[in-house]
Formats: sequence, structure tokens, C-alpha cells
Amino acid sequence: MSDMQHDARRPYVRPMTGWWRKNPYFVCYMLREGTALVVAAYAMVLLTGLLCLATSEAAFNGWLAVLRHPFSIALHLLALAAMVYHTWSWFDIMPKTMPPVYAGGKRVPRHVITRAGIVTAIVVTLLILLLTWSLT
Amino acid sequence: MSEQQRMIDIEVLRYRPEEDAEPFFQTYTVPFTDDMSVLQGLQYIKDELDSTLSYRWSCRMAICGSCGMMINGKPELSCHTFLRHFYPGGLRVEPLNHFPIERDLVVRVDDFIGKLESIKPYIIAKEVRRLEQGEYLQTPAERDRYEQFSSCINCMLCYAACPQYGLDNKFMGPGVLALLHRYNADSRDGGQAQRMELVNAEEGVWNCTAVGYCSEVCPKGVDPANAVNINKINSAKDYFINLVRPREGGK
Amino acid sequence: MEIFEADVAIVGGGGAGLRAAIAVAEKDPTLKIALVSKVYPMRSHTVAAEGGSAGVVQSHDSLDHHFNDTVTGGDWLCEQDVVEYFVANCTREMVQLEHWGCPWSRKDDGHINVRAFGGMKIERTWFAADKTGFHMLHTLFQTSIKYPSIKRFDEFFCCDLIVEDGRCQGVLAIQISTGKFVLIKAKAVVIATGGAGRVFRQSTNGGIVTGDGMALAYRHGVPLRDMEFVQYHPTAMPGTGLLFTEACRGEGGILVNKDGYRYLQDYGLGPPDPWPRKKAMELGPRDRLSQAFWHEDRKGRTVSTPQGSAVLLDLRHLGEKKIRERLPLICELAERFMNIDPVHQPIPVRPAIHYTMGGILVNGKTESPLPGLYAVGECSSVGIHGANRLGSNSLAELCVFGKLAGDEAADFARTAQLSASSTLEKLAEAASQRALEPMKRENGTERISILRKEMALAMERGCGIYRIGSEMQETCDKLDELKLRYQRVTVDDKSSVWNTDWLQAIELGFQLDVAQAMAYSALNRKESRGAHQRLDGYEERDDVNFLKHTLATYTPDDGPAISYSDVKITKSQPAVRAYGAAGEQAEGKEASHV
Repeated sequence: MSDMQHDARRPYVRPMTGWWRKNPYFVCYMLREGTALVVAAYAMVLLTGLLCLATSEAAFNGWLAVLRHPFSIALHLLALAAMVYHTWSWFDIMPKTMPPVYAGGKRVPRHVITRAGIVTAIVVTLLILLLTWSLT
Repeated sequence: MSEQQRMIDIEVLRYRPEEDAEPFFQTYTVPFTDDMSVLQGLQYIKDELDSTLSYRWSCRMAICGSCGMMINGKPELSCHTFLRHFYPGGLRVEPLNHFPIERDLVVRVDDFIGKLESIKPYIIAKEVRRLEQGEYLQTPAERDRYEQFSSCINCMLCYAACPQYGLDNKFMGPGVLALLHRYNADSRDGGQAQRMELVNAEEGVWNCTAVGYCSEVCPKGVDPANAVNINKINSAKDYFINLVRPREGGK
Repeated sequence: MEIFEADVAIVGGGGAGLRAAIAVAEKDPTLKIALVSKVYPMRSHTVAAEGGSAGVVQSHDSLDHHFNDTVTGGDWLCEQDVVEYFVANCTREMVQLEHWGCPWSRKDDGHINVRAFGGMKIERTWFAADKTGFHMLHTLFQTSIKYPSIKRFDEFFCCDLIVEDGRCQGVLAIQISTGKFVLIKAKAVVIATGGAGRVFRQSTNGGIVTGDGMALAYRHGVPLRDMEFVQYHPTAMPGTGLLFTEACRGEGGILVNKDGYRYLQDYGLGPPDPWPRKKAMELGPRDRLSQAFWHEDRKGRTVSTPQGSAVLLDLRHLGEKKIRERLPLICELAERFMNIDPVHQPIPVRPAIHYTMGGILVNGKTESPLPGLYAVGECSSVGIHGANRLGSNSLAELCVFGKLAGDEAADFARTAQLSASSTLEKLAEAASQRALEPMKRENGTERISILRKEMALAMERGCGIYRIGSEMQETCDKLDELKLRYQRVTVDDKSSVWNTDWLQAIELGFQLDVAQAMAYSALNRKESRGAHQRLDGYEERDDVNFLKHTLATYTPDDGPAISYSDVKITKSQPAVRAYGAAGEQAEGKEASHV
């Protein structure tokens, strides 16, 4: 009588190492997630500025001087690129995270929701730019 | 009409547990025509070149869900992926990611089946109706709310696409959560509360980080990412409601 | 060898098998059910059925109409008492499925919607978009999960029946993932393994439709009935044979030849207008439509495609909205496989083998002549389809007779006693040795794929839409030869885990037996009826000599013995089988006689 416990199966489990490098979709995903770190870092920068403002004029000027340094400008440009990607990828995934939206009896397609979000982001950005420009 | 017979190289990941320590690639050169699917390429290999190649298949029309595999690194159904797209470079065929390989292109799917069975995937009727009373009424709009999620063919491409499932297979996963949502969203069903515990669990919807690749690869437009993520809202609602007014009878 | 003891074993996890399992579980939750399937249940070929399932609902419809349509469609070869039972139970089963969650398509008021289908006088085909089989199967599978008494043996390949003491007492199955045998003892066995379309070259069928259960019952002495009647579905994709549902025509699609002419009007199905119209033109029965294609092809009026000749299924006039909403799967198939958008272009189609009307002989209660053995679904011949099946009667059959088979098997199991285990184990051991033969063979000379292709080609030639005695004889001779060569078939793969080479060899053995039953039955029926049409002097229906069922009985080392049995006639006497205007005239005469 054959042993019921043992059979010839030997399932092979493939390792997950380097999984995100193997598919462009995952690379984009990891970049997306990575931009959250950039957002957090920039929040720290702004928070530092706030603290400096609360301390003294000299401290605040010191903070501004650091920000004007070419190296800092370069980092800020990279951060801006990351933020743009962050914003775009946010609205790209947004339709998948929402319950279905109906307008005029028909279901609003995914790309319409994404585009609406991006357009809103651009408009709001422009408004804020205009606002800050008018104050200086 | 004489036309040069075109040939294409198909590189297949083989694995015979009784003979091989680990999987290895084997390349076959296959004659093909424009309308041949990758599945037909594999059938040619099995019929003419190497009858020891094993793979799952049946309907050939993307409805039975048997023939999922990785084709050039992407989860696809081999029956409706065509060889002509990979000419002349050739293609690489591997078993579905994130599942243990049983043999050649056959993966072990017990985990998926077990999960499917665990979510009470059947109508828990809101109101009892006898057969003599006829059908429950359901308007086309009500049917529309869940139809998309009922189109899942259980092909598991979404599981092969989901890195969270690949990293930790305790995650319930996109397809099963979509099926759970299909029943919750059916106007005839009243079992949402009974399924809530599974949704709320860490391995329920909360393992999902909205990668979204599952919905990209789904051959039937089920959009499992959507099913999972709208249930995050439901789960959060349930949490707060439960704080204010706890459910009877423990968990 | 591992042994499992069940009260009821069900072989096949498609619509019929699942419905039977649920019926047993509901009838008596204490009975242990073993549901054995060589694939996961949702892969069963029920999943590919598209168009719909019949059930009388409309107030101007009646059971009598459904009965008459079915018996006429079957060219009077139906067991009429069984058809009466069938039509009386269809609607109840469809409502049961609805209660279990099946997403039937609805009218605006929320009630079930029904559509017209081939050969049916009044709309009674329930549908779920154009994926009815898919939705029914998934509903049944998911509902079956509710019942703890159903133990599933997924991916277990049934390779023999255990017959002892004149009764069927279980099955022997191979666990595909390990190659190990398991004996499943059972007081009652229900076979629900589906049809055998894969013995032909071009079919709508999936790879698993190889007539397994038919061959198993056949080899144990159960006759196969009416095997010569195989249905050619008129609208399949050239080359692959993939199905374009009859619902395309139910929604108003038309068939034209290369001149854009609706040729069906030349074959007794006209006049072409008004359209759509029941039981006329493109809504005629499937055998007539496939036969019309054959004639058009001979006349050179078909379109040429790289995959062979075809006619055109034109849906353009239905409009984009209707096509995308009612026929989404069709759109997918045409676009993906053929690069054709049905909204803007007609689709080339040609007939392909689709359904096996014949099968395991059973009575109206799904009992086979072998006590303890039941059969249901496409693998059985319960008597409702006769010489030609009407579309949407098959999905309904799965549920109506699935339930009946489950109930009957449960009753039988409650009072049956199994023979001594050692006796059954010895039989299982012997059966396992037989199953291992092709793999163990050292000096095999034949290849599975070659034998399979030769069989498929022979069947296409001899058992085509139209048949000629000399060609059928050639096919019978060829099959005899193939069976001998099969004794020397080689299996290269000697492994245990997922050895599909070995399983394909066993399946080929099943297919050859079933093909032989089909070809011999066809050769001996010297008349034309329904799907069996001859061109060699037997062009007419012969109710005097052949208003009978063909029975093919297995004889080892030889072709089947052919005999005949009577047809049960109750309410509908054989008449002229007419459609289109001629049909309406005939019905008018009938009505005036009442």
C-alpha cells in the first residue's frame, strides 16, 4: 500500500527579489510611492521656515539664504518634478479608488475623472501663483 | 500561393519536480500564421516537438480562465495573445507569477480556491421568496451595479499582477475581493454584515496599496482595484459605525 | 491506494454535475457527496455557452408550445413523455437559479427578459447578456460552496467505473497533481461529463470535451443512444470553430452569401421579411441552417477566407448600442481574434460541431440500465433533443435533469449497500493497471497527436453535415484501424506530477470508442432525419422503418453492435417538419383542425 502522505510534488516558489525592477508598470508605481517621501521632505523644509520665522528675522533670512543657494534650487527643481508626477499619478489612480460616478444617467468614464482632477490641479496652482505674485 | 513559412522562438520555463532541482528554460522553434495564439503555439510544441510539456487550457475563447501565464513578463491569457505580436524577436512563456510552480506552466492554485470559498460567495437573501412567487425584481440599473464584478472568470491574472499578494499571500487578493463586492452590491443580497469581518481584516482590503496593475491585466474589465478600494470606504464607515453602535454577539 | 467512501459520486463539475450535487445536498444533508472533475468546476465547458436557457414565462406562451417546438425540432425522435416533464420544469429551475443569484438580463420593470431563439415559436429564452452559460455555471459553483456535504475532488481524472454485483459502486480517479489513483466508493454514481465534440476537427468545444463519461458507461455495457446525431452550429469562427451565439440572430442578425443575398430563403425558411420572425430564416433550426451552408458552398456562393469558406453574419443594422449591450462577448471575439468590428463589418462564419444529441441511454428519471448509474446533461440521452436540439434547451436540461438525477441518486444511495471493500479494491487495482498501460508500454510506435488528427479528419469526412454510405463506411474502417493502432500508442512522459501526455492518451481511447459509436450508428441509419442527412438514396425521412432510436452496444475487439428501440409518442404525431411560411401554413391547418 503506498504512503498517502508522500507524493512526487515539489512545488517551486519563485523569490520576489527585484520584483519591481522587472516591469515598467511597477517602476512607475515605486516612483509614485517614492514621491510621497519628497512631499514629506518638502513639508519639513517649510516647517523649518515657519520655525525660523517664529524665532527671529535673522533666522528667517538665514533660511531664505539657504534656499537661494544654487544647490538648493537644483534640489527644488527635482522636487517640483516629483510633485508634478505625484499629482498626475494621484489622479491617474483616483478613478479606481472611487465608487462609480453617474452624470446624466451614464457612467462617467475613468479618463474623464482623471482629466478633471488634473485640470483642477492646474487651475488651483495657477490661482495660487497669481495670488502670491500679486502679494509681492 | 507559396509564402515563406515563418518561424518563431518560444522560450518556455520548464519544471519537472521529479527530475529537475529547479526550473530551467527550453526554447522551441514553432511555425506560425497570423491568427495563431500562444496557446496554439504551445499545442504545436506538445503535438509535434515535445509531448512532455504540461499546461492548462480548455475553451480557447477567454471565458474558462484556465490558460493564464506570464508572456514576456506580463500576465496574459495564452488563448487570446497572438504569436504575430512577438515576431521576429520571439517570446518567453512562464507560469503565472506569485503561485508555486507545480509542473511546467501549471501553478498550484489551492490558495486562491480556498480564499474564494471563504467569502460566502453566494446570495444571502435579504428577503425570503418562494419559487412559486417567481423571480426577485431587479431593475437594469440595479443589475448594472454589480454586473462588471460578476464577469470575473477566475483566471488569476490579477493575482499574478499584484505585488502585495506576491510579497504576502495572506492577502485576500483582488479577484476574490471583487467577487465579495459582487455579492455585496447585488440588490438581492443581505449578507454585507457577515462578510464585513473579512473586508476589515488586515489581509482584507487594507493590504492593498492601490498599485492598480490588477485592473490593467484583467481580460474581462472587472476592475478589481476598484472593488477593493471602494470597500476601504465601506470598511472605514463600518469601523466608525461600530464604535458608536457595536454589532451584537461579539465579532 | 487511497480510498474514499461517498454516498453519491458525481463525475463532472459542469452545470449538470453541480446542479445534481446541490440537489443531493438539499434532499439529504447527511449524504456524503464526492464531486469529481478533471478541471476546476468553473472551467467546465458549460462556461462557454452563450445564448440562453429556455423557460416559458410569457402569458401568450404555453408548455404545449414549448413541447411542440422541441418535438418538431427533434424531428419526432424525442421521448415525448420526457419532453413533457422537461417543459413543465424549465421555468421553475430558471427561477431557482435567479434566487441563487444568476444575473439574468431584465426588462425595465425588473422582470426577467426573454428573447427569441432558433426553432421556437414564442420568446422564452432567458439570458444573461451573451454569457448565459458562464453566469449559470458560476452561480451554481458558488452556490454549491454553501453545502458542507459536497466534497470536491478538483483536477481528479476519472478513468474507470467500479462495477460489481451488477451495480455501479464507485469510480477510480487519478489525482492529476500527483499521478496517484484514488478509489471513490459510492452507492450511486452520476455521470455528467459533457459531450464529445472533440472527436471532430473543427468544433466550438473546449479541449476537455472528449466524451469521457460516455466511453466509461459504454465500456461497461450501457448502450449509447442516437450517437449519429451531432449538431453543427451554423455560426462558428472559421478555423478555431469558436462560437458566435444564436442570440446574434435572435437579436435580428442576418446571414448572407458572397453576393449579399439572404440565401436561407432558398431552403424552405423564407420569405425573408418581415424580419425578425420566429421559426423562419435565420431563426430556423440549427440543422437546417448548417445544411443550407453546405449547399451554398457546393454552389460556389460562399466567401473565401484563409481558414476556409464562410458566409457572412451581418449585425450592422442592429446599431452600436444594441450590439455592445446585448452581444459584448461576440464583439470581443470578432475584434480580438479576427480584427473585425461587428458594428461596421459583417463577420465570416461557418458551421462547426457544437453538440452531441446522443449519449448514455437513460430513462426519464436519468437512470441508466446499470443500477446505481445515472447520467445527466450532454453526456446523456434522456430523450428531449431527438435528432436535433433547439438552442437554449441544453442549459435548461442541465438544471431540470440535474435536479432529478440528484434526487434519484440520493434515494438510491439511501437504501443501497456497498459490496465488501476488498472486492472493490481488487477491481480498482485491476482498473489502475489498465489505465497505466499506455504509459508503461516500452515499444510503442504510434503518436497520440497523429491518431487524434486522423480520427478527427475521418469524422469530418464521414459524419459531416451530409453523409454518404461509402464515406461513412470508410470512416468506420478508419476508426477500426485507429483502435488497433491505439494499442501501440506511445507516451513519452513517464512522470507522476501533471502528466498530461498520459491523460491525453487515456482521453484518446475514450474518443475512439465514442467516435466508433457515432460512425457505426450513422452508417446504419438509412434515412435522413434532423441532423443526420444523407445524399445516397436515403434523402427522405422514413417513419416506417426508422422512427426508432439507434442503440450502440460495446463489443470488445470490434465495432459496436447496432440495434433499435421504439420512440415514445404521446401528443405529437410525426408530421412534416416545416419552418418559414410553410411552417406557418402547417400550423394554421393544425389550428383549424382543433
